[in-house]
Amino acid sequence: MSFLQPILLAALPLMALPILIHLINQRRFQTIRWAAMMFLLAANRMSRGYAKLRQWLIMFFRMLAIAGLIFAISRPLASGWLGITAGGRADTTIILLDRSPSMRQQSPGTVASKLETGRQQLVNTLNMLGSSRWVLIESTTNVAHDLESPDALLKLPSCEPASASADLPAMLQAARDYVQANKSGRTEIWICSDIRQNDWNAESGRWQTLRDSFLEFAQGVRFHLLAYPQIASGNTSVRVTEVRRVQTADSAELLVSLKLTREGDTVGRISNPSGTSASNPSSKDGLENRPTEVGKQTIPIHFEIEGARSEVVVEMTAAQFELKDHRIPIERSRERGWGKVSIQADANPADNEFYFVFDQPTLRQTVVVADDPQAARPLQLSAEISPDPNNRGTAEVIGVEQLGTVEWDKTSLLLWQAPLPDADSTKTVQAFVDRGGQVIFFPPKSPGSDEFAGVKWQTWTESPEGIPVETWRGDQDLLAHTQSGAALPVGQLEIRKFCGITGEQTPLASLKGGAPLLARLTSNRGGVYFCATTPALGDSSLATNGVVLYVMVQRALASGAAVLGNTRQLVAGDPSGFAGENPATWQKLAGSNDSLSTDFAFHAGVYNAGDKLFAVNRSLAEDHATVLPDGRVTELFKGLDFARVDDQAGNIAALIQEIWRLFLACMMVALIVEAALCLPKIAPTATTPAGVSA
Amino acid sequence: MLADRQPRSFLDTSVLSRLAAVPLMSRRPMQGNVSGRHASPHRGASVEFAEYRKYVPGDDLRRLDWRAYGRSDRFYVKEFEADTNLRCCLVVDTSGSMDFGSTGITKIEYARKIAGSLGYLAVQQGDAVGLTCVANGIVRSVPPKRNAAHLMTVFDVLEQAKPQGETQLVAVLHELAETIRQRALIVIISDFFVEPDLLRGCFQHLRFRKHDISAFQLLDPQELGFTFRRPMRFIDMEGGPAVFAEPNDIADRYQKALQEHLAGMKQVVLESAIDYHKVSIDENYEQVLMRFLVSRTQSKGVR
Repeated sequence: MSFLQPILLAALPLMALPILIHLINQRRFQTIRWAAMMFLLAANRMSRGYAKLRQWLIMFFRMLAIAGLIFAISRPLASGWLGITAGGRADTTIILLDRSPSMRQQSPGTVASKLETGRQQLVNTLNMLGSSRWVLIESTTNVAHDLESPDALLKLPSCEPASASADLPAMLQAARDYVQANKSGRTEIWICSDIRQNDWNAESGRWQTLRDSFLEFAQGVRFHLLAYPQIASGNTSVRVTEVRRVQTADSAELLVSLKLTREGDTVGRISNPSGTSASNPSSKDGLENRPTEVGKQTIPIHFEIEGARSEVVVEMTAAQFELKDHRIPIERSRERGWGKVSIQADANPADNEFYFVFDQPTLRQTVVVADDPQAARPLQLSAEISPDPNNRGTAEVIGVEQLGTVEWDKTSLLLWQAPLPDADSTKTVQAFVDRGGQVIFFPPKSPGSDEFAGVKWQTWTESPEGIPVETWRGDQDLLAHTQSGAALPVGQLEIRKFCGITGEQTPLASLKGGAPLLARLTSNRGGVYFCATTPALGDSSLATNGVVLYVMVQRALASGAAVLGNTRQLVAGDPSGFAGENPATWQKLAGSNDSLSTDFAFHAGVYNAGDKLFAVNRSLAEDHATVLPDGRVTELFKGLDFARVDDQAGNIAALIQEIWRLFLACMMVALIVEAALCLPKIAPTATTPAGVSA
Repeated sequence: MLADRQPRSFLDTSVLSRLAAVPLMSRRPMQGNVSGRHASPHRGASVEFAEYRKYVPGDDLRRLDWRAYGRSDRFYVKEFEADTNLRCCLVVDTSGSMDFGSTGITKIEYARKIAGSLGYLAVQQGDAVGLTCVANGIVRSVPPKRNAAHLMTVFDVLEQAKPQGETQLVAVLHELAETIRQRALIVIISDFFVEPDLLRGCFQHLRFRKHDISAFQLLDPQELGFTFRRPMRFIDMEGGPAVFAEPNDIADRYQKALQEHLAGMKQVVLESAIDYHKVSIDENYEQVLMRFLVSRTQSKGVR
């Protein structure tokens, strides 16, 4: 129970008034000399059961009436989730609004999304509660804005849904900074979110820091979580995985690969016996939604290429469906452009569209810096031979001293089999990496003391009989499994010589004994890899058993090529994707009409800036509706003053409502009952007959 | 008779004169020592024929019924009922509880009026009057005598009687049953705040001694109604512990106890054939006495 005027609860001791009056009344007794004591004594000896109970009941109902009155004027709210807001109005109320695409999800039978419902509920609730200052921190910019009143939540464009994922720890960090900078008094932080794992980053170490810093605030910070954890039933999302433009003799085609994912299918769940969900702890405590086998579903997929529409109908029998290289003929003259894939409306409209851009494939240019010709040749070959006959690659072998002649703007991959670059060269290579280029370092014949980003070569280790590769990461990066799921034949490699690697790196493959074969360095953009051996015949079978080397190099090359060119696929709100770009100068070609030009980076759509085309879409994580389990959320706020309520999209019932009428009614009932109990007994009709003779 | 004396506060001559019209009768034969208006268990010289009895030597020849002898040739003596006076013993409770009165008159004052009037009426018709004041024993006792000067003594004692002390009515009644030698009219004026079961023994004891017993139970209207509103502290007028009570709370049980007591009294007086009168002291004592006297005239003559 919470109250809008909790200060009035201080009057609750007035409940003791009937007792006090009773005691005072007892004190105000009259004294009388009395003859008929024998009757009084007899009356005292008699059972007082009901009479005593009646007295107690009268007292109780009088107290109840007073309590009812006090509670009524304290303006109670009919929801326990706010907790007692002792101390009255908050000094500052900070609203953290999750605008991520998943918040656009609607409940069955309603048209209001989670975000709309949450905003409306916040407006209703916060208007009722009141505060001296209102601050909004929305999930795209994570910057605190002052609001005039909670009503602004319904009008502000910055409260409309966006395509960018939220970063709750960053939002809380902004809130913390605000509280610290403004030295606000008692602060209430309202979080409106659907508590998706990707928005909350529950595993992030920032949570611990945030908890500690909020606990340090002496004025007290109170957290309210307005959660919408429901998972959409039968929501399908569409995501374009690849777009290629191919040119045939007389025409051009666009090969579009896409993936449909169906989530939260309650049909599948309901058909399961209820016992299974109870016996499965993961589905019990976590709201994690795993794709389940569902019935057949026909889904029409609409394509729009530069305004030209086409449709293909697919049958979806499982939770995932993949359409590979769907051919869409385009004008032969159209070398670059944009398109949109959309499916029919479902529970979440945010994931029914996906934008893409296409262009002629960029030249796959590789620079090989090698001091060992034996090693350089396999590298050059693996880089030159392109998997796409229409897009040939070039690889140029140069020496270290020729670095200055390289056209870095057109280079996608740098293969470095030489002593690590010196200071000048390091700058050049680092700039290349920061732009998005890929580098794979191979060990030189004589490793020096130079280092790159804190990593350097150690000494060579020889083993003529060959060292097998023990482990490698098949889930991601250069050695990932193929699209068909087959593992690369990394285990078949024979490593006869390898050079140790020291420094901070992440091994992607390890030799027997633990030495890394392939390692990746941490970088903001681009990719920096260290391969512990060379393709030279005496060093390893990388060249003779060329699949691994070829795949490795081609994958790195593809990544490096992706950042070149005039078209780019971007993830909404991902700052690394926008490096060097100014979204404010973009022009919108397609996308939501609601977005402001300054917010293009956070809204899905196709934008152009000069010659460049950008397709902005939601992040991949948005398609995986993993909701944080309740226990985990509670853990995140452990030690803090935290209250949570789960709401549903489209809920029109107010979260809180004043219920003083109920208490007033209670008071009246109590008074009536008290009056009924106080009614004197009907006096016996035969009153003291005068002088009755026996 | 009272001309030369200061008028008693408890006597009203006009009331007495009106009451004098009705004689004070005994319900049972009395053993007086002089002739009076009351039936006697003995044969006497009244005009009322009683029976014939066979002559035995020694009988007064003047009382032989010669006519009977002439008809039957047997000697019979003709006997007549004796009329005698009665001895009226007034027993007045002077315990502390008799000092209570909420209507401007206390129970002891009311008792004085009744006792004084009855004493006057008795002496007026030639009966003897005695008085016993009872509290925690016999406080004052005046033996029955039939002269007017004695009546003054009785009035004096009545006037001086002070209500104080506990009631030992039961013990005193037993004592009186033993000490009053001859048949007498015993009028007990009290509030009878005693267990009726204990009174039963006293009454039966008195009955066994062939006394004619009348009882006036004096009760105050407040005692009957118990119409208090505020919490009260009741101090026992006979020195017992004080009782604190919330009248609203206790009234119904008080009434229950009172009604039980009255019902018990009624039962006892019916069993013991007591001439019982429950009197609320806001009643006019003249009417009470008139009712008493009239009821007795109707039941007189039992020999």
